[in-house]
Amino acid sequence: MSVDEHALGELMEQSADLQAAAMHQSTEALNEMVEVGHDRRRSGDIDPDQDMAAAARRQELMRKSLVGVGTLAAAGFGAAVLGLFDTPAFADSATDVQMLQTAASIEILAVATYQTALTLPFIGGSSANPVVKAFATTTMAQHTQHGQAFNAAAQQLGGKAQSAADPKYAAVVKAAVPSIKGPADVVGLAIKLETVAAETYVADVSAYSDLNARKVTASIMGVEAQHVSILLAVQALLAANAPQLIALPPNLTDLPGAAGSIGFPNAFYQTDMASPASEGALS
Amino acid sequence: MRILRKNTDQMAISETELLALTADMEERHRQTLPKMHAAVAEWVEGEGAAERSRVSRRGFLAGGGIVVVGGALLAACGSSSTKSATMPSGGGSSAPVDVQAGAMAASLENLAVFAYGAGISAATAGKLGTIPPAVVTFATTAKSQHQDHANAWNAIVTGAGYQKVTTTDPALISTVQTDFAQVKDAGGLAKLALTLEDIAAATYLNAIGVLSSKQAISTAATIQPVEMQHAAILNFVLGTYPVPNAFAMTTGARPVTDYSVKK
Repeated sequence: MSVDEHALGELMEQSADLQAAAMHQSTEALNEMVEVGHDRRRSGDIDPDQDMAAAARRQELMRKSLVGVGTLAAAGFGAAVLGLFDTPAFADSATDVQMLQTAASIEILAVATYQTALTLPFIGGSSANPVVKAFATTTMAQHTQHGQAFNAAAQQLGGKAQSAADPKYAAVVKAAVPSIKGPADVVGLAIKLETVAAETYVADVSAYSDLNARKVTASIMGVEAQHVSILLAVQALLAANAPQLIALPPNLTDLPGAAGSIGFPNAFYQTDMASPASEGALS
Repeated sequence: MRILRKNTDQMAISETELLALTADMEERHRQTLPKMHAAVAEWVEGEGAAERSRVSRRGFLAGGGIVVVGGALLAACGSSSTKSATMPSGGGSSAPVDVQAGAMAASLENLAVFAYGAGISAATAGKLGTIPPAVVTFATTAKSQHQDHANAWNAIVTGAGYQKVTTTDPALISTVQTDFAQVKDAGGLAKLALTLEDIAAATYLNAIGVLSSKQAISTAATIQPVEMQHAAILNFVLGTYPVPNAFAMTTGARPVTDYSVKK
């Protein structure tokens, strides 16, 4: 394994510094959101019509995202998603808060999943690839911060903090865990969760009525997409029986040509797997 | 172009599998384009039509200068997100902010297409030494995606009755050309590309807080993560941790109103 663990440690330290700077920016956005939330509550300016409009916007966007996916998808998962948007209970609630709570629930599940994965010998133990282990550890920490940011945003808009994992995908993880036999299984599961997170946030960004909720979510969606990107590359190298190439820095000369584009399959990020606002929202 | 092909026997199956995966990805990518076109078409029919009418009555656009280029590439971007979100730094166009942002984005995407194209040409001419095949694939695919992004933004710009943006970002092009002249190998090319991808991602993140129409916001939201994915792979190639921040930043963002779009 061509990994300089000391150098990797230094890189992680630099990454932590950069992350702290990014957190500062996010905190500023959250503080702005706090002020907006306070103002709205003080003035009683939480407008049900505005929330209805936001729900309608998001429903419209989701309908568009389903166009072209195909009749089968529209009649299955897509129809279920649109059905949720049509319920009066959903439309009467603060949609921004719901989206933030659902986002927090996805982050909570991601943290729990990586935490569990790190207890496995081939992810967090002595037989683990150091880069994979470092990635899982750092990514778990980043998801923790994302969850905190979403919950803070929800609370400051008058909602409650979400402390439970997304129920739909918690069931998916629970069902998948017994069949995990090696790193590829974990990576495949992580790709699914990260994709759901990224696509949900991409869809949410154009549906928020609150500008700062939009900004906070936008600052997170690309990071989840980066997680997907690296996981796709790792998955491809594992599938190609070339785990020795999962290294930092990589041995560029040995990487297959196709590895150069495996991490960004689409010119435009998709939203087919976006979760509806109510999926992880508190009632 | 000299492309290394080491361990051919060992990697033969891997290459096949990866190529199959890539073909599948290409198909998925093509499937996303109609959705993007539909979103842009809706913008053109709605707010774009209104803007075309408004512009037609006005009959002219106020011109404006551009930011003076100086120093390194990031320094040339030179604006805080707050400033860029509220204050044009020199564009001065009276076009709607979504059109201005679309033109700015198109010019940035054109710049990326130019940079990757120049890199591929230099590599083909053997000016960058031995180029690993993964780097070639990266550059080719990223260039294609940036062209798709430019097309998407230009559809919004022309749909509103403004001229298609065919030039590269005037504020950055000379700096990029200067920096590119210093590139001697794949690593240097990757560093330059990383800077451009970071600027693009930061610009989109900043724009998302400024844009008004949901179609423009959605367009930016579906592109920003892709630029960040490009950056992640470039960081990996350069031996840097690929996901360095928990939150994307607007540092280095180009002001959305900094391109003087023309009627």
